[in-house]
Amino acid sequence: MKRLYKNAQIASADSPKLPSADVLVEGDRIIGVAASISDASDAEVIDCTGRILLPALFDIHVHAREPGQEQKENIASCAEAAINGGVTGFIMMPNTTPAIDNAGVVRTVLESARRARIGSSIYTAGAITKGRKGEELAGIAAMKNAGAVLLTDDGFPVDNPQVLRRAMEYARDHDLPLASHCEVKELSGKGSMHEGSVSYSLGLPGIPSISEEICIARDIRLAEFTGTHLNIQHVSTARGMDTIWRAKQRGIRVTCEIAPHHLLFNHEDIGDFDTHYKMNPPLRTKEDNAALLEGLIAGKFDVIATDHAPHTPFEKNQDFASAPFGITGLETALVSLYDRFIAKGIFGWDIIVKHYSAQPRSLFKLPTVPVQEGGVAEFIVFNPNRTTTFTREFMKSKSLNTPFLDKQLQGQIERVIYRGEELLAR
Amino acid sequence: MPTLTHRRLHLDQTKMAECIQRLAAEIAKAHPNATNLALVGIHKRGVPLAYRIAHRLRTDHDLTCVVGTIDITQYRDDLGSFTILPRLEGSDIPFDIDDAPVVLCDEVLFTGRSVRAAIDALMDFGRPRCVELATLIDRDGREFPIQPTYCGDRITLPADQRVAVRFVEIEDDNEDAVYIESAPLSQA
Amino acid sequence: MTPRKDLLDIASLSNEEIEFVLANAAPFKDLFRRSVKKVPPLRGRTVLTLFYEPSTRTRSSFEVAASRLSADVTHFDVEFSSVVKGESILDTVETLEAMQLDYIVVRHKQAGIPNLIARNTAASVINAGDGWHAHPTQALLDAFTAREVLEDLRGRRALIVGDIQHSRVARSTSLIFRRLGMEVAYLAPGSLMPRQIPDEITTFGNWQDAFDWKPDIVYLLRVQSERLDEPFFPSATEYHNNFGLTDARLKVLNDRKLWLMHPGPVNRGVEITDAGMNYERSLINQQVENGIAVRMSVLYWLRPGAAPVA
Repeated sequence: MKRLYKNAQIASADSPKLPSADVLVEGDRIIGVAASISDASDAEVIDCTGRILLPALFDIHVHAREPGQEQKENIASCAEAAINGGVTGFIMMPNTTPAIDNAGVVRTVLESARRARIGSSIYTAGAITKGRKGEELAGIAAMKNAGAVLLTDDGFPVDNPQVLRRAMEYARDHDLPLASHCEVKELSGKGSMHEGSVSYSLGLPGIPSISEEICIARDIRLAEFTGTHLNIQHVSTARGMDTIWRAKQRGIRVTCEIAPHHLLFNHEDIGDFDTHYKMNPPLRTKEDNAALLEGLIAGKFDVIATDHAPHTPFEKNQDFASAPFGITGLETALVSLYDRFIAKGIFGWDIIVKHYSAQPRSLFKLPTVPVQEGGVAEFIVFNPNRTTTFTREFMKSKSLNTPFLDKQLQGQIERVIYRGEELLAR
Repeated sequence: MPTLTHRRLHLDQTKMAECIQRLAAEIAKAHPNATNLALVGIHKRGVPLAYRIAHRLRTDHDLTCVVGTIDITQYRDDLGSFTILPRLEGSDIPFDIDDAPVVLCDEVLFTGRSVRAAIDALMDFGRPRCVELATLIDRDGREFPIQPTYCGDRITLPADQRVAVRFVEIEDDNEDAVYIESAPLSQA
Repeated sequence: MTPRKDLLDIASLSNEEIEFVLANAAPFKDLFRRSVKKVPPLRGRTVLTLFYEPSTRTRSSFEVAASRLSADVTHFDVEFSSVVKGESILDTVETLEAMQLDYIVVRHKQAGIPNLIARNTAASVINAGDGWHAHPTQALLDAFTAREVLEDLRGRRALIVGDIQHSRVARSTSLIFRRLGMEVAYLAPGSLMPRQIPDEITTFGNWQDAFDWKPDIVYLLRVQSERLDEPFFPSATEYHNNFGLTDARLKVLNDRKLWLMHPGPVNRGVEITDAGMNYERSLINQQVENGIAVRMSVLYWLRPGAAPVA
């Protein structure tokens, strides 16, 4: 059975140009990409006129909440949410209950992941320390052998620099990247949002930018010292980004993530204590939004990652200080980035392909999925002329904690193809 | 939004003054030699009425009396249904009403509800010897068993018509007159 | 003036609404001179005080205000009920909703709780202080009190002294003073001065500079005892010496005939001395009396079930 995606505009990591082409798929492979393919009379023809065809996305920062917090999400619902957002592979964070901090839990979650439609593209991180308490090293080698691809205590920093140094040395020897959630707990205190003019007027304790920036600087120094590949998660401040960029220029093995919400929103969006805008690191300022966007375009970030963090309506319908940090992102990321940036000509499709498809995969030595002859057929058909309304019915995640709930945005993911199979067709 | 209201003059300045004069005469007749007579005007057009009556009592009958004002807003039985809340004027009764004859003054007596509210409000200031009611216009449509003690003029009107009294003392009234207005009813 | 459902902060009030509440407070205050201090507009209505943080003064003030409007007043004792049972705020609100209350007066140590409750009940919600966020009735009574002595506040200056960082009073009162045309300055130790306050507010780090600015009102904030345990300043003595209203500074107030305000309760020996409590131009007791009148005015204005402000 062949499928011919006719007259699509092909997005790639290398150029914002969108050459028109027909794409012929057979089995799990792309067997032809050409300006016009006419000798495929046995193929089902899918008219892609006016549509963008781009490599499927890969998210390296996802909270699937399994095991232990299945009321928020589980791997199955998370995988469906991912597909709904054009994401065909992701890395799960280990802040579950219990934490993914030993080979047994790694095997359990990976086994559960295999049952998903994109099961073989779901990976897990393991915790750096036991119970993510920052005290004793977790069973790193055993977790690696069981399939963990990354180490992180995400949600928490490793407070003790000595513990972090040992973890980095261990991670380096086992060739595992280590990802840091950067925060100095004492500086963040009881903060629930960015410390600034809005935290002043709302009377909420603030999380100062330096809380994140000092930890970024410290972790980079340790990474340099130990020679470990360090990935800085969800960078939210311009200063933090600059610190990382300078380290990269000095040749230090450091990479970093930008979350869509840190580009799209800032602390002023919190308005009347809207907990859908509560995340950690917090939404910073308009100036940070602008600097981070400029940084993304200039190539200062390696990957876009959502930090998809589902919470139940009950949990989010509390006062701001008590509500948990985090918003969902898998289902909204591509459409929201299209609506706010690509559609407005602020950046091109290459930024998405490079940072949300190619580089996240290559960071973990996984094969990328460019739309090319002989390549694996793993791509999205995106219709820029249609809109998406993020209704409850639309969402596949168990949770609805996104500011985009019931909002209509420009652009629609029409089809998601995974290894030749159409997982979604609208 | 300007509302189209049909209105006709019922009393001009002269006739209105005659009514007030008559009210004062009746009050003077009922309270000869009174030493502690108090007039209390109901906000807002009962207030100029009270002062006018007091003036006539003094000039025509050599009878002195004290004048107070009463804001019945908080005593109204329909307060909860107001879509626009009035700014409170406050009551100003700077004298002791205990054992005094008190004449409540209101420009129009219609349903009797305002007077009911005014009596309640007055009672929170003390225990008058008696409470009477002086009204410039008494029109039909009573919803409470209340009648004026003194009345300037008495008229019968269809339900959709209302009496509008104007006093020069009141901002934007600009004249002394009594009009009969047709629907739509507007809140005075 | 159109009735509103809730009073959650000063920021969301229009100038007309502020003027309406302040104007009506005066006739309410006049009632206190009568032997019958009660009027009937809230007859048959129920006002509930829901205090998650103890405050005898504020609670009493609301309860007296509600009683003088003829409302039935009830207190929901949070300490012994919901918190112990692990009930969430919204569970509690659901319970209260079933009681069909008309007004809920809320105090909580977390900012935004009154907003959360207001979104989930048809009753009118009045914020009686939430965390560091807002204390709108305090701000209104402060404005009313300041106007009693200064009349027109435009061009006048208020110096607010103390723990600005953790003070809902500083936030709300500075806002209403500015809305009424006053200039506002903060005087605080650096550790208690928020980093990003509105540009219009001047900041000082010592009394001398603050006095040079020529304030008309000196507004002292209470130093919360729990701050003494955290390293915001070395000791209560050091705070008093550097930022308290010492007798020497009180003399400056007296010489210049400046008005003194404080939201109460005071910490004698920390932000104020015994002499300060007896200062001739202290408005502290007047603030308490006006608090009742202003809260009556707020209750008169709010209407359960009215459309909430968007």
